[in-house]
Amino acid sequence: MTGNRQPSGLTFDQLLSRQLREAGWTRREFLARVAAFGAATALTQLLVACGQAGGSPSAPAATSAATPGATTAAIATPEITAAPTPVPSPEKELFVYNWDEYIGEDTVKKFEDKYGIKVTYDNFPDEPTQIGKIQSDGKGGGYDVTYPASTWIPQFSADGTIRKLDHSLLPNLKNLSAPWQNPGYDPGNAYSVPNYWWTTGYAWNPKKVKGDLTSWAELWKPDYKGRMYMLDDQREVFAAGAFRLGLSPNTTSAAELDQILQLLEEQKPLLRDYSTDDIAGITGGDVDISHCWSGDWVQMTYDAPDTKYVIPSEGAVKGNDVMVVLAGAPHPIAAHLWIDFNLDGDISAENTNYIGYMGPNEAALPKLESYIVDDPRLNPPPEELAKLTELSYLAPADQALYTDRWTALKA
Amino acid sequence: MTEAVAQPDGAVRSTGQRGDRLATGFLVLPGVIWLAILFLAPLVIIGVISVGSLDASGRVTLANPSLANYLEALNPEFLPALGRSLYYAGVTTVLSLGIGYPVAYWISRYGGRRKILLLVLVMLPFWTSYLIRTYAWMIILRDNGVVNSLLRSVGLIDDPIRILNTDISVILGMTYGFLPFAILPLFVSIDRLDFSLVQAARDLYASGRGAFLHVTLPLTMPGIVAAGLLTFIPALGDYVTPDILGGAETTTIANIVQVIFTSGRDWPYGSALGFLLMAVTIAGTLLALRSLRREVVGAPA
Repeated sequence: MTGNRQPSGLTFDQLLSRQLREAGWTRREFLARVAAFGAATALTQLLVACGQAGGSPSAPAATSAATPGATTAAIATPEITAAPTPVPSPEKELFVYNWDEYIGEDTVKKFEDKYGIKVTYDNFPDEPTQIGKIQSDGKGGGYDVTYPASTWIPQFSADGTIRKLDHSLLPNLKNLSAPWQNPGYDPGNAYSVPNYWWTTGYAWNPKKVKGDLTSWAELWKPDYKGRMYMLDDQREVFAAGAFRLGLSPNTTSAAELDQILQLLEEQKPLLRDYSTDDIAGITGGDVDISHCWSGDWVQMTYDAPDTKYVIPSEGAVKGNDVMVVLAGAPHPIAAHLWIDFNLDGDISAENTNYIGYMGPNEAALPKLESYIVDDPRLNPPPEELAKLTELSYLAPADQALYTDRWTALKA
Repeated sequence: MTEAVAQPDGAVRSTGQRGDRLATGFLVLPGVIWLAILFLAPLVIIGVISVGSLDASGRVTLANPSLANYLEALNPEFLPALGRSLYYAGVTTVLSLGIGYPVAYWISRYGGRRKILLLVLVMLPFWTSYLIRTYAWMIILRDNGVVNSLLRSVGLIDDPIRILNTDISVILGMTYGFLPFAILPLFVSIDRLDFSLVQAARDLYASGRGAFLHVTLPLTMPGIVAAGLLTFIPALGDYVTPDILGGAETTTIANIVQVIFTSGRDWPYGSALGFLLMAVTIAGTLLALRSLRREVVGAPA
């Protein structure tokens, strides 16, 4: 499966990827984790705090040399109106902020070649860093385009972090499959364009765990004591507990959350760790069962082809991320061109085929690798998909209910 | 003081002293600026945020400053995590001193011309990021990692033993990480020790053990205290090692602060808890220093 991903001449990056994968790592995990604790991150967050507390727009600290944030203050924000100039001439530059290893191998280069726009492509290691950075000045931290989880869209559109999209610049929106034309978090895709989507279930090693697992209850079985991971993700862990109890994973009832917490307290002694190293955990043999995202399972199968994955029968989370144009985007036209480019059927297919996450693109379907598109676990039929739940945005007061219980669980 | 002796005239002496004070002031200036920017400023920021709250869209607001976050941070549910932090830091400190003292002693006494080289070797790990070294431990300790493979290939075990994600892996990682911080101050104090005093003790029929206990150890106590503090304090605040090498049951109080800041997105609450911990750490350190100083000063010197 990885064969089609390896060109003849390996770059340093790819060589590093291969080395790390042999050591039980993907490059993305590795970089993400290294950066997650890096001093640069701490500094950025500190400055973010500074800006937020003082109410003054702060210049975000550089997480990398190429960060455009430093120049933000000097760039006047061009206004994009509902009725744009008929033939907009794009800017010569574009600042994109995304996960590492989360796009087709040549997508950036192809975009640059097609439009003659120089792309500065920065990566963030985790969501808190991403959100902290784009909120540092309340309008995007100097970036044009970023990729938040769809749950953020109601807040970001309301508080002005992102701008309304100009659909006349996005003719490829027609490529989105019908359910994605009008998603619940953003009716009519007014502010965002769906990028990839996934389910959250669990993966297991069939050599160590016998049978066809279908229920969340397996993750509470003493048989697997010390051989299981739950994701180190507050919402996902509480969602798993909620599904076991037949509750909504978006509950904000303190009583229901207490019930879920009690269930999770029972599970904790059986777990080896709360970890987002799910891929290495399974392929490295540390655990036999791991709560995980569907795309991570695809990456597990690159090293451990037998690994199984299930979307549990009680219900599961489905999620997606989106492309948005930030409010302070210095290059709004180029940003729209970027989004439209990624909505192209061929480009979308290349993105999915490279990283294993399904896209919402109808035009890309015929070009997707069969092991992705034909697998009901990665691409469930519509009736199965309808049973899954999207996590909704939590207002700070509700978020606090979760945080209190999550810290109590972990302590 | 020597100047005072050299200068017969009082006026000249005072000018000299003023000049000295001025020069000293200039020398201190970079340090003061450094501390002000990199220590005090962040501290003030955290302090200010800690009395704030979150507005409806989740941003920090100082509209209604209050101490509510501090009251919330005094949460008895955090006690197990706090206990674990103290336990890991305590064991790490004892191990670092226990391993570091003989190493420092040996380098100082028997290092000879290679002293510098040996010290560079002690510091060599710093040339690689702590994070990458900790990940290396992960690869070494995991179920089919280096240690388990080795034990299995020599037939000592059949099934892999679980080392990663336990208290042992956390303490091992922390001791590995903080050991150089213990060795360096220990080396300095042992190296400065006038060994003729030890010889004098031996001449006066002290046993080797007696000379060590009554001469070497008390005279190197400042180094031991410095090494202990340099290990204990950062170990108490460590969240990287328990996060990477730990498991479901190794959460430290620093991990809790981390969770509140990241997935909780509640900076005021996290700042309050962080501030509280810092205050406790500083108070504890001062207390320990005071009692130790009394002991050290009271020791035969």
